[in-house]
Amino acid sequence: MGTEERRSERTSRVLVAVMNSHRDYEIARERGWYRIPYERAPSRVGADYLAFYQTSVFDEDRWAVNYYATAMRYHVVSRRSLLPDEPDHPRADALYYRIDIGPLLRLSPPIPSQRLRRISFIPTTLERLLHAEEINDLWCGSPGEERLWRAFKESGIGVERRYPLREDAPEYTVDFALFCKQGRVGVCVEGAPPVRNVRMVREFPLIDEYAANALGWTIVQLGHRDLARPPATCVEAIMKVVGRLGGVARTGGIQDRGAHVRRGTPTRVTDA
Amino acid sequence: MRLGFAVKVLGPPSLKSHDTRRWQNHPHLSVSLAYLRDIFLYLHRQDIRMYRMASDLAPYVSHPDLPEFHSQIEDCSAELAAVGEMAADYDLRLSFHLQLSTVLNANDEAIAHQSAQLVTAQARILEGMGLGPHAVVVTHVGGIYGDRDAALERFARRYEDLPAPARSRLALEHDDRRFSVGDILWLYQRTGVPLVFDYLHFRNHNPEGMAAMEALETCLRTWPVGVKPKIHFSSPRTAMRVVERKDTKGGAASSLMRAPRSIQHADFIDPFQFIDFIGEAMSQAMPAFDVMLETKAKDLALLHLRGHLDRFAPDTIVDGDDHGNRRAPQ
Repeated sequence: MGTEERRSERTSRVLVAVMNSHRDYEIARERGWYRIPYERAPSRVGADYLAFYQTSVFDEDRWAVNYYATAMRYHVVSRRSLLPDEPDHPRADALYYRIDIGPLLRLSPPIPSQRLRRISFIPTTLERLLHAEEINDLWCGSPGEERLWRAFKESGIGVERRYPLREDAPEYTVDFALFCKQGRVGVCVEGAPPVRNVRMVREFPLIDEYAANALGWTIVQLGHRDLARPPATCVEAIMKVVGRLGGVARTGGIQDRGAHVRRGTPTRVTDA
Repeated sequence: MRLGFAVKVLGPPSLKSHDTRRWQNHPHLSVSLAYLRDIFLYLHRQDIRMYRMASDLAPYVSHPDLPEFHSQIEDCSAELAAVGEMAADYDLRLSFHLQLSTVLNANDEAIAHQSAQLVTAQARILEGMGLGPHAVVVTHVGGIYGDRDAALERFARRYEDLPAPARSRLALEHDDRRFSVGDILWLYQRTGVPLVFDYLHFRNHNPEGMAAMEALETCLRTWPVGVKPKIHFSSPRTAMRVVERKDTKGGAASSLMRAPRSIQHADFIDPFQFIDFIGEAMSQAMPAFDVMLETKAKDLALLHLRGHLDRFAPDTIVDGDDHGNRRAPQ
């Protein structure tokens, strides 16, 4: 791979979006677009590529990112003009992003979700998309968060990244979630601005520990000092909490099908 | 007084300022506008009310050899309106700054024509976003080409030849080695173009020997009634520079240590320099103005300066909006 291609992989932005119906898949494949409600669009909607996380309706392709495509053009249109065969839909006048995309390219192998989880949107890079082994590799965290993620992976501990405390409030997420026999552990990493002494407002709201506890979560907060220590030390401290909750529960997800495979070259869907 | 920064966002990871793909990969203004929408959300979250958009927001829009890109602005009317509405909701003051390669007073007619096309395109983007006259396109005079007077005259002529909507958006900034505040003042008197004062340029190039406050006030008073002037502020770099060199024959890389140049922007703003300058301006009953910070640390420099203002000048320098609402201290 040339220098230019490597640079392009690093700088190209990808938005991983959810594909939850066969109709949306057909629209993407045949008509070359994908839609996102304008008012409910994620905080990062701009991207050079869209990738698609397919949900349970897709049989063999379910719970994985199988396809991606170049983002060509963003339109802001009403639902009525987007889907003229549904003029009486209650949201017919609502605005949507219609994102025109190029041909679907198949990722080989796909990027599975270990926990078969629900996902909304993941902003990531092309480099991560092309090299991810599972969904959790896609998130771009602070340096401390990334170190901790690598430590979890190397230890073989099954964790989920950016996991919502409640499904109906996806903006309240823990950075790492561990599912135990007697509860759940949420790890929150102190949001680190790129320059330590510049104060910024957080992109996502802080987790209220009491509210999290009420939902059955045990929260572990990691500050800058914790993250400055070797990541294995942080993992050890977290696993002590997990131990008190009976240890990690077996998920029974895709990992049992041996999904940890090195990624290969992407191919066009028509070639697949 | 608003504080703003230019183009690149360094605070959160992965926020792009515009579609940077090359023409072969079909970049598009609409993709840039989606990136811009993400930036606006970030600016709103950080309570930043002024921002300079990337001059390549509409990629290749006036490139003479790529006509397939020329209709992007018309094609994006709905998307421009949506982003413009968001800017209005967030009370954002937006602007463009033409690149140095855009030279309205060029000797070469083709370059001048191309530059005029670009000014017009950027003005149309601001228009398409539905922004008021406070949203401007800033440019420098250009080159001297061996005859300063002729170069100034050429700029004036080309300015007058611009379509009225483009002319009404253009603002002129002096620079650090060619055209001084005195030069652009002549152009204002000749054409009526409003002037942008730049603190660092002024300190580097002031052949008229003007006092800083005099130069500032001269520029501020050129703006039309009802349009708040803006100025540029940056501190000179003081840190050592490491210059990477590559041997032209053997290709061996080496690095040289160099002292900074006075025209270079620092990463951050010197808070005491800023407080002294702005404080003095505010004490002299000048017209109110906004400040575009030109630093290498971009939004981080702005946020850091805010911390310094809260600490060292909480009562004199108010960073807020046009309605007298003060930003909450950090």
